[in-house]
Amino acid sequence: MVRSALNPPRRIGQGPSPLAVYVPAVTVVIASFLAALPIVSTIGWYPDFGYLMFIGWRLLRADPWPAWWAAPLGFVNDLFTGYPIGFSIALWSATMLVLDLIDRRTMWRDYWIEWVVAAVLIAIDEWLQWRIAETVAGGLPFTAMVPPLVISICVFPAFAWLIWRIDAWRLGR
Amino acid sequence: MVAPQTFQTIRGGALDVTAPVTGALREVTATTEGVFTGAGNYWDAARQNAQLKQQNKAMLRRMVEARSIFLENQQLKATLQLREHERKTIAVGRIVGSSFNSPRRFAILSAGSSDGIAIGMPVRSPDGLVGRIIDVGALASRVLLVSDRANTIPSRLLRNGIPVIAQGRGDGTVDVRPLEVGRNPFKPGDIIISSGTGGLYPPAVPVARVVKLQGDDAIALPLADPAAISFAIVEPPFEPVAMAAQPAAADAP
Repeated sequence: MVRSALNPPRRIGQGPSPLAVYVPAVTVVIASFLAALPIVSTIGWYPDFGYLMFIGWRLLRADPWPAWWAAPLGFVNDLFTGYPIGFSIALWSATMLVLDLIDRRTMWRDYWIEWVVAAVLIAIDEWLQWRIAETVAGGLPFTAMVPPLVISICVFPAFAWLIWRIDAWRLGR
Repeated sequence: MVAPQTFQTIRGGALDVTAPVTGALREVTATTEGVFTGAGNYWDAARQNAQLKQQNKAMLRRMVEARSIFLENQQLKATLQLREHERKTIAVGRIVGSSFNSPRRFAILSAGSSDGIAIGMPVRSPDGLVGRIIDVGALASRVLLVSDRANTIPSRLLRNGIPVIAQGRGDGTVDVRPLEVGRNPFKPGDIIISSGTGGLYPPAVPVARVVKLQGDDAIALPLADPAAISFAIVEPPFEPVAMAAQPAAADAP
């Protein structure tokens, strides 16, 4: 939690909500659960909601959850979305490590850099999914993955905005 | 992919958790969609009525033809002493959801092992073939759709009986290839039906309609649109022996 959030609240009754520590993880689980929406899609161009939420939180805060929570959160995502079990566990844990490294290396961050980092991570996610589908199901042209990739990247700022709102709410500002 | 059976129970459990929610919400979306298409139908009711009357006449003629062919067929079969397979229905469920972000095409069916469904069973709707079961929970199961890359269906052309292979392309369409190399036997509008070869899918179930030719192959649209069908029927495998021989690892998602 950021230092300013721990200062005494400006108004009575205003401050971090009691479950503020768990809110990020819960929103990620809810985003994964969006895969249970009753929409039958024949093309599958929807974004990977769980992953968008996950990297959104991690880009906003260095410590939305303990690093090892990536594995159980990924497991939940695998179960709800029907990915091979272990796919999100590995990818999400690796994402935490990579973003820690990036945090250490970068001097400053702004909106565009965060979007580029998110875009690269989403691209890696889509590429891995394509790779696994290719291994299991035979040659699939990568061009088929371009529309969902573009859609995911374009949707990311909306997720980032939503996460920023949720973050302000949970810290009581 | 290492041991596909290991997580079967957990995957099934997760399906059971999500399917009731999905099922309840699905009613709402179905109603909304119904209102919109319903309004569209009122818009040009007169023209549609005329069209339908015309179609009805044509259908009646075709029905008489079909009836006579059916009788002839029965006689021929009787002379051949062909063993007729009895089509049993294991369960009827609703398609309540699908995979969102994945090159794989799955759908969620609101019936599970408590209804007698097992992995590998074919799923069809009144319109045509939907796919086959690959994950099963107590209350829900996951269907590998016809349009998935891993789903290969031995089939044939309805027009002339030429054997073809239908394989999903992962984007809602199906790729059909003739078994014999050479001239492209397809025409746009051709209907592909399953042939029953391999013993998993029952024969003579409509699979897809050809929309475009591409080299030696053709691109076809599945006749059973998972987004539009309300009920899906799970049947036992056409030849039960095929289930035993089927390697489980090949279908693991």
